[in-house]
Amino acid sequence: MIAVQHLPRSAATAARFDAELIARYDGNGPRYTSYPTAPHFRSDFREADYMALARASNEDPIPRRLSLYVHVPFCFSPCFYCGCTRIITRERAKGEAYMQRLYREIELTAPLFDRDRRVVQLHLGGGTPNFLDAGQMGELIESLAQHFSLSTEPSREFGIELDPRYADADYVRALGELGFNRLSVGIQDFDPAVQEAVNRHQSEAQTAAAIEAARAAGFRSVSVDLIYGLPNQTLAGFASTLRSVIALRPDRIAAYSYAHLPELFKAQRQLDASLLPDAATKLALLGETVEMLDAAGYRYIGMDHFALPGDELVRAQDNGTLQRNFQGYSTHGDCDIIGLGMSAISRVGDSYSQNAKDLVGYYAAVDHGHLPTVRGLRLSDDDLIRRDAINRLMCHGAIDLRDFEAQHRIDFAVYFAGSLDRLHELAEDGLVQLTPERILVTPRGRFLLRTVAMAFDAWLSAPREGAVRYSRTI
Amino acid sequence: MSEAMRAGKLAPAPSPIADDGDAVRFCSTCAFGAVCQEYGVDKIALNELHCLVEHVGPFRQGEHLFRTNDPFGAIYAVRAGMVKTYIDDELGREQVLGFYLPGEMVGLNAIYPARYPCNAVALDTVYLCRFSFPAMVTLATRLPGVQQQLFRLLSKDIGTASLLGGDFSADERLAAFMVDLADRYSARGFSATRLRLTMPRGDIANYLRLAAETVSRVLRRFRDQGLIAVEGREVELTNPVELRHLARCVLHR
Repeated sequence: MIAVQHLPRSAATAARFDAELIARYDGNGPRYTSYPTAPHFRSDFREADYMALARASNEDPIPRRLSLYVHVPFCFSPCFYCGCTRIITRERAKGEAYMQRLYREIELTAPLFDRDRRVVQLHLGGGTPNFLDAGQMGELIESLAQHFSLSTEPSREFGIELDPRYADADYVRALGELGFNRLSVGIQDFDPAVQEAVNRHQSEAQTAAAIEAARAAGFRSVSVDLIYGLPNQTLAGFASTLRSVIALRPDRIAAYSYAHLPELFKAQRQLDASLLPDAATKLALLGETVEMLDAAGYRYIGMDHFALPGDELVRAQDNGTLQRNFQGYSTHGDCDIIGLGMSAISRVGDSYSQNAKDLVGYYAAVDHGHLPTVRGLRLSDDDLIRRDAINRLMCHGAIDLRDFEAQHRIDFAVYFAGSLDRLHELAEDGLVQLTPERILVTPRGRFLLRTVAMAFDAWLSAPREGAVRYSRTI
Repeated sequence: MSEAMRAGKLAPAPSPIADDGDAVRFCSTCAFGAVCQEYGVDKIALNELHCLVEHVGPFRQGEHLFRTNDPFGAIYAVRAGMVKTYIDDELGREQVLGFYLPGEMVGLNAIYPARYPCNAVALDTVYLCRFSFPAMVTLATRLPGVQQQLFRLLSKDIGTASLLGGDFSADERLAAFMVDLADRYSARGFSATRLRLTMPRGDIANYLRLAAETVSRVLRRFRDQGLIAVEGREVELTNPVELRHLARCVLHR
């Protein structure tokens, strides 16, 4: 009943970088960490909808396991490229006020989910989760452990995003003792000229120390984030960063394309746009990244993500269980995701929902004993079918048509007639291969997964609440 | 966008929805259709006997067909969907009595003392046939086969209720529960190995007198042992022989 698709290894390993093709398709598009994407959530989806769906999710014969996402919105210092929902402050007291609300939200949310549903995944994101000191972090874990059933199996995945400028080895060790076993370290670029332009001064030594401390503390996996397309970035400078990163040997590397949307993200208005690399340089930066990481033995998973062959993401891709989620790719795609904290997104049953995106709204709801749900969406049958198609393309670069038809009881050629017209255009440009049995993203098309996935998106031209801006596809 | 999106959708998977009858023909799952036909009585003839077979529904999820102590006037045959019967005990706790599939009769236990002794609620969208009981009794005097069929249904209803009374393990109870459902579906022409467990896990647990987490723990183990495959509420019996072996003490079959 559960579809497993095997991507030929040759296709998975040999993503082929084609600068001319990528330049031609450069455009705006969603990243499909959800489908439908967040701009389409509706404001008439409220607390009561979330509660009903959460309770119903307990009633499957074998209810899904749980994944918790906790958002810590504070940062000590503004990075000028940032597009996240965050608040700049150095006042620890602000953090404490937030934590009190977070504990209240945990108390309100946890009873909706039966206690035999184990939490097998926990992710702390931000902002800067290490804005919290070790004591606060301990209280947070204690609160979660008291109200949810945290898994004790070694396979559990407890991850945290870390800004190494504000974390010493003792702190990282404390995180390990609290049960964290995955570390995600923000780097972006080690080039001092770039760091100056984006207001993020972070030495290689600081970064290496955090990673070494994590390994010493028994963390199972370390990933790092890079960004290409930042001001002052050069091919030589970024090559040097990549060499340093490869020497650190993180299990996973994410190389994100910088999306300059100052109208949308206030922080970016502080950045000097005249220093941004031109389109050709940006493309060359991506090409350099792919080439160097490939030579260093990293597998291209898809979108912005690379991983070492032994990593769980690679194994999940090989055995067909990889899923897309809000952190990019996940090996625990079968979980219901509970988002906690300001702006956090949940995925419970066949729904998405989001918490208030500002502290005032978030505090007001929780202080009155309400869940801070402000918008969301129940997925229709059509949404579910299209989400599966997009997920298969994003994760496995292929759709086995017979298997897909059997699973969703559709005639693929009829149901997706419009999508197939678009795919035929993409096939002529060599992004995909269409046969009567399958849709296969070609090695050249793998860098344009968004473009391929967009062919299946029924919401792109749909009316929505407020303006939607997507970042460029590369 | 709805119309365009529906294009290309195939008929739903073979699922528990009866082949509906019309003014003349009985539904394929009708408990009395075959008996009446033996006597050459079609639905028009039944009408002439003032025995109206009335299609009722849809009842939406959570809507009640009848409640405890409502006066008894009719028995119901499920045409589509699933019905749960239950009582609230003296302490106000719900006790699940049974689940009814298409072709099965609800309300037989109300004949005496002419009040429904339990609640009946739709677990999903439910369509029913309503048989006026006074009219059924009249019909039974004219068609002895109808009377026999009524007795058969009554005695089966009593038998089902006592199935789980014994001292059985959780594994035996769950295996019996699934094998029994599969048998009941297959007897009505549906798949014998693929089931939809429409009822919430809490209801399964209540019915089998187990804790909800025990239901899931046992099912997870069955899945890991290759006895079943589970996707959401869809269950496939991948090793029916072994399940039947586990269930044999409960089911005596």
